[in-house]
Amino acid sequence: MIRSSNPLAQEPRYELITRVLRENILSGILPAGFVLLEGPIAAVMQTSRVPVQAALRQLLEAGLIHRFDGRGYLVGDGKTEVTPIRRDIRDLALEVPDEVDDALQTRGTWRHVYDQVEEEVASCQIFGEFRIVETELADHLGVSRTVVRDVLARLQERGLIRKSASSHWIAGPLTARTVSEKFELRGIVEPAALRLAAPHIRYAEVEALLDRIGTDPGITPDFLGDALLEHCIAQAQNTALVEMIRGNRLLLSAVDRALIRLGLPRDEDTIEQYQTLFDLISRHPIDSACEYLRDHLSITARRYLARMKIVAVIPDAGSFAAYLSPQ
Amino acid sequence: MTHSAQSPLSAPPHLPRRRLRVLGTSITLLPPVRERAEADLGFDVDFELQDFLSCQRQAAMRPETYDVYEQCFHNLDIVWFWGALQPIDLSRITDWDGVSDLVKLGGISKYAGRGAGDAPVKKLYIQPGGFLGSKPSRHISMLPTVHNMDSFGFDARVFGNGPDVRPSWAWLLDRRAKGRIALVDEPAIGFFDAALAAEASGELQFADIGNMTIDEINALMKLLEQRRVEGYFVGTWREGGEAAALVEQGRVAVQSMWSPVYGKLTAARAHFVESAPVEGYRAWHGGASLSRHLRGAELDMAYEYMNWWLSGFAGAVMARQGYYISNPARAKDYLAPEEWAYWYDGAAAARDLHGPSGDLAVTKGSRRAGGPYVDRVRRIVIWNTVMDEYNYAARVWDRFVRRVAEGAEA
Repeated sequence: MIRSSNPLAQEPRYELITRVLRENILSGILPAGFVLLEGPIAAVMQTSRVPVQAALRQLLEAGLIHRFDGRGYLVGDGKTEVTPIRRDIRDLALEVPDEVDDALQTRGTWRHVYDQVEEEVASCQIFGEFRIVETELADHLGVSRTVVRDVLARLQERGLIRKSASSHWIAGPLTARTVSEKFELRGIVEPAALRLAAPHIRYAEVEALLDRIGTDPGITPDFLGDALLEHCIAQAQNTALVEMIRGNRLLLSAVDRALIRLGLPRDEDTIEQYQTLFDLISRHPIDSACEYLRDHLSITARRYLARMKIVAVIPDAGSFAAYLSPQ
Repeated sequence: MTHSAQSPLSAPPHLPRRRLRVLGTSITLLPPVRERAEADLGFDVDFELQDFLSCQRQAAMRPETYDVYEQCFHNLDIVWFWGALQPIDLSRITDWDGVSDLVKLGGISKYAGRGAGDAPVKKLYIQPGGFLGSKPSRHISMLPTVHNMDSFGFDARVFGNGPDVRPSWAWLLDRRAKGRIALVDEPAIGFFDAALAAEASGELQFADIGNMTIDEINALMKLLEQRRVEGYFVGTWREGGEAAALVEQGRVAVQSMWSPVYGKLTAARAHFVESAPVEGYRAWHGGASLSRHLRGAELDMAYEYMNWWLSGFAGAVMARQGYYISNPARAKDYLAPEEWAYWYDGAAAARDLHGPSGDLAVTKGSRRAGGPYVDRVRRIVIWNTVMDEYNYAARVWDRFVRRVAEGAEA
């Protein structure tokens, strides 16, 4: 987890949102009759809608807002008739205490930007070694350096970047050795996890996938790989094992997506293998599926190593984000 | 339709000439080959000539821009696994039986050395799951055509040229040539000239020179960098013309060489000598592949063209620039006896011999280094190779090449 010195950073996000809205209602900045909508509030708070929903429920229970004959909630207890005020909450100068703002920023923003940065930092590694400069990443994302440090800490925790001897953040290069090691690990742990998962596999989803493979020409190996993980392997009742599998696949999947962006054509052989695999999972003893998964991974590793070689002849300009400096 | 667009009085429809588009490199895309192919086949043949790396890139990523792809086996990992090519059906290859065991089995006899790295047999046959391997099957990835055993060239005034002189790849790092050494800038080729030199000089040992580890690659680049700093390298080159210029200007005493470059030398011909290294040769094998998009009549044309390639004329043209063909018996019909004797049998040239474009390539009385084909082909120690760590090796190699260039300018 990312740790912050701000005590509020440990508080659930919906509590922070509740706090901000309550203060603004009580101070009158949010006037009686103002229509509160989830989406705009989530945007202001730089968060998803889920904590906003929880915050609105708390305010409703506290009698500070009420339902009405329209979308959202109205500010006020609803005991007196008010005309709904439909304005964008982003136009109001909401009072947001610094501590709360900081906590929301730290908690919200780094998550908000993290996935994109992770994808960029992981996929650049086929193009060699890169340095990440904190200030450039902050400018690129339009966030504070505090947020950037949280993002970088998370990337390091996931094994995607490291500190050089001179204390620079370094990503890559992705070597054949790293790829081979990751696939070797996959060959050991994924079949084992699949066996553990057998009683918990979402068989209805597997059936649906088998139907789709036959009928949907747009289905991709990438999609099927994720589906195999989510519906089958990750159903293993061992959180540590599933976490390890996810972490190990992170870099491989990001590079796969980068190759597809570079124009790697749809790969029918791999789709066929997933079809066989899902068929074995749904209709046969799990051992046969585990054996097949092991073979599938060893074949995939060979294909993957060959495909990485093309990157050496592709000019890399423009293929990665501006904050990544080739070394 | 009740109304025909063609009235009985209109001119006969203009049928454009059929056309085959060939993407390749300077190894095989020679004008005499194209002209004769067009005459023999009755359709146009367009040549698109690219340097090695651009050629691979285009072949992999834009297969719709060509019909036939002429390149080397060692780049198949790149192009084949990007799904750009389609299998070649051996039942449609007329002279497959005439193609040498060098490609089919890996060596011309069971006692001949196979060589490390991407021996063409390892990439030849299509295996289940779309992989490439040496187990025979009905389909192949690339029709083997032209090949050669490469070495380095040296200045006999520096290294000597008597019967006692035993050229070694170590000369590419030799103090006697300090400041006058050049390598070919291609990470699947020049990289191995450097690796052979490092092993031959005793500086480094690789567990498998054809599939080096990251640590081994780093060790090699460290050695090259040390020598660069000490001023050993004068430059690198990418095209035969640049290699010839380096020799003619007297800027190199030893460097990577390609066979046709010797034919281009003029004043330096007397002292710049092709080596037959004691350690053996670095070989390569070219061929032709089919673009993924080909179907029907276009596919038929591509097969016609590939069969024509193995029918003798093209093999003879290749021989005149020092390259061998995969079915030499057919090429022999198109070569003068003196040409065959010099290029394939290792005999002294009975007369001056000319290159593919008609200029003087070999002077009367000279003899090909390394002797006859059978002797040279038995001494292959490594093939041009795209290793597992190619993506890494190519980047560190590029950095080295850039530093050599910057150093040369300073």
